Amino acid sequence: MMKLWYKQIVSVIRLEMKKTFFSKRGLWVYLLAFAPVALYMVNSVHITRQRQNLVQLATEHPVSRSVFNGIKTGLSRDQVVEKLGEPYWQRTLYHDRESEKERSFVLYKYTDGKNDFTYHFKDGKLTQIKHRDPDTLPKSQLIFATSFQFYFLRLAIFFGCVGIFVNLFRGEMLDKSLHFYMLTPMRREVLLAGKYFAGLLATVVIFTSSTALQWWAMLWQFERGVIVDFLAGPGWTQFGAYLSVTALACVGYGSIFLAVGLLFRNPIIPTVAVLLWESANPFLPPLLKKTSMIYYLQSLCPVTASPDKNMPPVINLLISPTGPASTLTAVTCIVLLTLLVLVLASRQARKLEINYSTD
Amino acid sequence: MKNDLITLDNVSRFYGEVLGVNRVTLSLPPGITSLVGPNGAGKTTLMNLMAGLTHPTRGRIRVLGLSPTQSHRLFGLVGYATQFDAFPKGLSGFQFIYSFLRLFGYSNAECKRLANQVIEQVGLSDAAGRKVAGYSKGMRQRIRLAQALAHDPRVLILDEPLNGLDPLVRAETINLFRRYATEGRHVLVSSHVLHEVDMISDQVVLMSGGYVVAEGQIQGVRSEIQERPVKILIHCKQPSMLASKAFEHDHVVEAQILTEGSGVLIKTRDADQFYRLLNHLALNGIDIEGVTPADDNVDSVYDYLIGGEEKVSL
Repeated sequence: MMKLWYKQIVSVIRLEMKKTFFSKRGLWVYLLAFAPVALYMVNSVHITRQRQNLVQLATEHPVSRSVFNGIKTGLSRDQVVEKLGEPYWQRTLYHDRESEKERSFVLYKYTDGKNDFTYHFKDGKLTQIKHRDPDTLPKSQLIFATSFQFYFLRLAIFFGCVGIFVNLFRGEMLDKSLHFYMLTPMRREVLLAGKYFAGLLATVVIFTSSTALQWWAMLWQFERGVIVDFLAGPGWTQFGAYLSVTALACVGYGSIFLAVGLLFRNPIIPTVAVLLWESANPFLPPLLKKTSMIYYLQSLCPVTASPDKNMPPVINLLISPTGPASTLTAVTCIVLLTLLVLVLASRQARKLEINYSTD
Repeated sequence: MKNDLITLDNVSRFYGEVLGVNRVTLSLPPGITSLVGPNGAGKTTLMNLMAGLTHPTRGRIRVLGLSPTQSHRLFGLVGYATQFDAFPKGLSGFQFIYSFLRLFGYSNAECKRLANQVIEQVGLSDAAGRKVAGYSKGMRQRIRLAQALAHDPRVLILDEPLNGLDPLVRAETINLFRRYATEGRHVLVSSHVLHEVDMISDQVVLMSGGYVVAEGQIQGVRSEIQERPVKILIHCKQPSMLASKAFEHDHVVEAQILTEGSGVLIKTRDADQFYRLLNHLALNGIDIEGVTPADDNVDSVYDYLIGGEEKVSL
């Protein structure tokens, strides 16, 4: 019997493959999934060029890092130029363009090839020094963690699962082709399992590929040595953790939206309800917090998207999950929640009728 | 022996307040059974109930002893060609049947063999590699029939299977039904045209408004129908002469010349005799332009069969 079920599940997956991977209706899922890859790539290219540009400028206007340390506010422009030489870039800002005497700000830029310094002069005196750090790996890791938890998990994977899993049953009801499966000696539970695995295969492939590419695009801007050191340290573990969280998000959200497609004629309302519940998670009391998928997924993320002092307070509130669950608890809860939803969905599948005229 | 029957015991199905079928009690033996009724009579609902695609609001159904809710057992025995004209996207005729058979658990080689065999049986071998989406209506009808036949079922449920078929394929399909019936299988066919199925049916179930209005051996239904005058419209250039010649025969009970004088509406108790008479008149100089049965549809049969009674027992 198990052999027959296995064969039937594989056959359903094969049939669903085209719909889940290559449906025109599902193109937006790819956009959602791969948009961050494009952004990381553009950012990496931009930073690499900027770095090359700084190196070039440092060659043309050589200044050593130790000299920068000696520049303090209160120095005159002439003193700064005497120590650092001519800036690679300067601009004068006027309060009143009609009278050059009214000028008040002068900006000078210097670089040592890695760091970029901007000096603000007012009335010939240095009043402010702005230092832009080079883009470091820890900084990029934090950006990745934030983007992963607040865009990728909450929006991209969430809506990607809506697009793929809801359509597994609801889409076929609308296309009037669901009866095709119902005319075979296949248990409804087996059909449900086949469709779930088909959706899971598609979402896991699409979204884990995207996670892997985002990771690669994030690292691309760094020198080979930096990358090798990082991977030899926590890099591979973090990478594996992000891939696992991506797959688990597909497992969990997939089951929810498969059930939504079976239980509701109009999936928009339950989808919005789930979205609101997941989004409200940071504001919920601890007990309720543990009834949402995002709580466990965030608990599994290797880098905490920690509150940054420059981030708005609202975001700080959002990204501080209280008492993250242990890995074992998080994985167990996601799997149990998934099984519970699938059992409920299979009970509904048993009662499913083909009545296209009302759909 | 009881397991050879399809039985429905006081089966009703309502869609909210809309009646699908009501209080249907049937016991169908093997052979060709025709479900006949106009659109909305409840034929498709009854077939869907037998196949478990919908569930009865009340009553009990057994197909060869199995409940339709046991779809995993039922569809080993039952093949159902629905009226739904939709197919899984992007599949060719062969892929459609092949994929369907894979869901039965057959091996790859067995699926290929059975798919090719049944596609040949319905005369679609040349088009097997083409996408179903590009098929004509008749071809789609045939591929649905192939799907129902593919796993060699004991019970064939076919919703309007002759719709859209050309005369040659229709004749071949009817022969196929006959062959299945002679092998002791059930062939349950729906139609809204009684004349389409009365020649092939062993038994007939007439439906109207969700109720079974008549059921039994086809001979009984046919004799009921034969006692009823049939209307035939004849377009000709000499309607008065045709009417007077027709009236010389006892079986013609009424002749009505059309107001525009383009023809005559004859009511006869014996259509076969009247058609022979027409041939004779045509050979003797009456220029007949066209002959159309004026009430050759099941609605008029009901009008007659039901009469003032709720149900006619045959």
